[in-house]
Amino acid sequence: MSTTYRAIDWNRQKRRYDLTLVVLVALVFLSFMGVSLLRSTHITAETLLIRGSAVTALLLLHVILAIGPLARFDPRFLPLLYNRRHLGVTMFFLALVHSVFATVQFHALGDESPLVSVLTAYRQDYNVFASGGFQPAHFPFEPFGAAALVILFLMAATSHDFWLRNLGAGFWKALHLGVYAAYGLLLVHVAFGALQSERSPAYPLVLGLGFVVIAGLHLAAARKEARLDRAELGAEQDGFISVCRASEVREGRGRVVMARGQRVALFRQQARIFATSNVCRHQGGPVGEGQIVDGCITCPWHGWNYQPEDGCSPPPFQEVLETYNIRVIAGHVWLKATANPLGTRCAGSLVDDR
Amino acid sequence: MNDDFYIGYLEKAPSSLGRWTRRVVLALGVLVVGLAAMLAARQTPAEPGTFEFGIQRTFEGVLHESPLPMLQSVSSNGVTTHYLLVGAGKYGLPAFARGHDGQRVRFHGSLIQKGDNVMLELNDEKSFTPLGPAASDNAPGREVIGEISITGELVDTKCYFGVMRPATGKIHRACAVRCLSGGVPPGLLVRQGNDASVVILLAGLNGRPLSYEVEWAARRVRATGKLKSQGAHLVLEVARLSLVDDERD
Repeated sequence: MSTTYRAIDWNRQKRRYDLTLVVLVALVFLSFMGVSLLRSTHITAETLLIRGSAVTALLLLHVILAIGPLARFDPRFLPLLYNRRHLGVTMFFLALVHSVFATVQFHALGDESPLVSVLTAYRQDYNVFASGGFQPAHFPFEPFGAAALVILFLMAATSHDFWLRNLGAGFWKALHLGVYAAYGLLLVHVAFGALQSERSPAYPLVLGLGFVVIAGLHLAAARKEARLDRAELGAEQDGFISVCRASEVREGRGRVVMARGQRVALFRQQARIFATSNVCRHQGGPVGEGQIVDGCITCPWHGWNYQPEDGCSPPPFQEVLETYNIRVIAGHVWLKATANPLGTRCAGSLVDDR
Repeated sequence: MNDDFYIGYLEKAPSSLGRWTRRVVLALGVLVVGLAAMLAARQTPAEPGTFEFGIQRTFEGVLHESPLPMLQSVSSNGVTTHYLLVGAGKYGLPAFARGHDGQRVRFHGSLIQKGDNVMLELNDEKSFTPLGPAASDNAPGREVIGEISITGELVDTKCYFGVMRPATGKIHRACAVRCLSGGVPPGLLVRQGNDASVVILLAGLNGRPLSYEVEWAARRVRATGKLKSQGAHLVLEVARLSLVDDERD
């Protein structure tokens, strides 16, 4: 974790990432506006802004949600994951533009406070027990969007390593998993809102297809992870478990193995195999899918570094991974399933590949 | 380090990975831009209408507050026009213009127009000038058409005549509720086929205010009463107004 913080630590890659993001967002927005003006010449500028920002934000949210599972299948998607928070913050601002314009357009300059009106304009239709029962065509859709915006705001406002450190990784991660709640709320917002007004089947089709893709990718990624977690344990001797052949851990590379329900990262460096926790201290990334770079274990998600022999980040950084004792016997890696206390130095085990 | 291992804080990504990422981003860009364009093309087109926002013109005529607030104005070439009157924002006839029923008035206002339906927004209190009682031949000019019972969407006439485009359906419902709640005259939007539509202004019986639920906005209602014409407007003096349960009608 950083010892000092800057809003954005710019480098060439990050500048290119953000430039590409700005261009793509502008293209999506402008294509929606342009085609809308051709198709619907009488539409007002405010309506165009409200709709354009909504469509752009929702498409961007799908991209954001797809990147994670795609990177689980193919590490070549990791460059898109690295600055994903920039996509998230951009998406929040698009949602904010949509919300502000919609609130002003539809709720302001009336006999009720706009923020109250958002929640109560047609309050009778909250009553799902009224005659006719629950009717999506009439149920208020605005509160779902407002709730999603609150979640997106909390995520965008804390989308920085400063907050990750100060809120604690567990709380921060839980907060940012709120993106799934926000996605669900937005699906309902659109289903009860725009889908009740637009007659074209393209709208429910695109929304449904987007959900199927996002849910499908996540389910497939979860299945892949579950297969790894179900890997059968090898023989056990003196508290050490046989986890794999030494030849399966290539020089400079990592490998993830299971030991009594926990994932452990194995790395080989200069003919020695080391074992650390697989969970990066930064954002919980899969350390074992990383590599050794400049003598340090490097997490594939954001490049966090740890020394193989003691799990400590190189000074002045302070993050530490648990280490595990290891033995290589007759070409097999044996791992002690209980982690060492933080900071324990392990010399690793020499591999004789002859 | 292998050629494809990516570290974001380094200045440069491995070249093979850079090429692959560029191709993926290009494909993704084409997909999302295409989707946005397709969704835009599939929108229900907004109906025409005019709102001269920020433009004020001077209007003069006889103000009739009942059954709906209107200005009956005669142009220099003798053509009589009935302008429905509303206030700024989501309000009906403003307080400063009330209490002048049957009087000649002059004021600055902004024109709202959809086809033959014309409306004025009174947004300049200082310009409002009562000019005294109207001449006796300035009756409201209403003609009875007949008793009808008709179903349509309840709309707020200010938005529908041109302030918002589009101004119907679920998305606009909250705005219509606010407008109706603020006193904007309600209208019944009756469609015939895909293109033809007419808005019938809804008024109470015998000059009394119309009693209805503003939350019925954007929903289908059935109105029964006496239909009259007033200039280019159709006005229904409503004897009965109810929500249509089966909205397929």
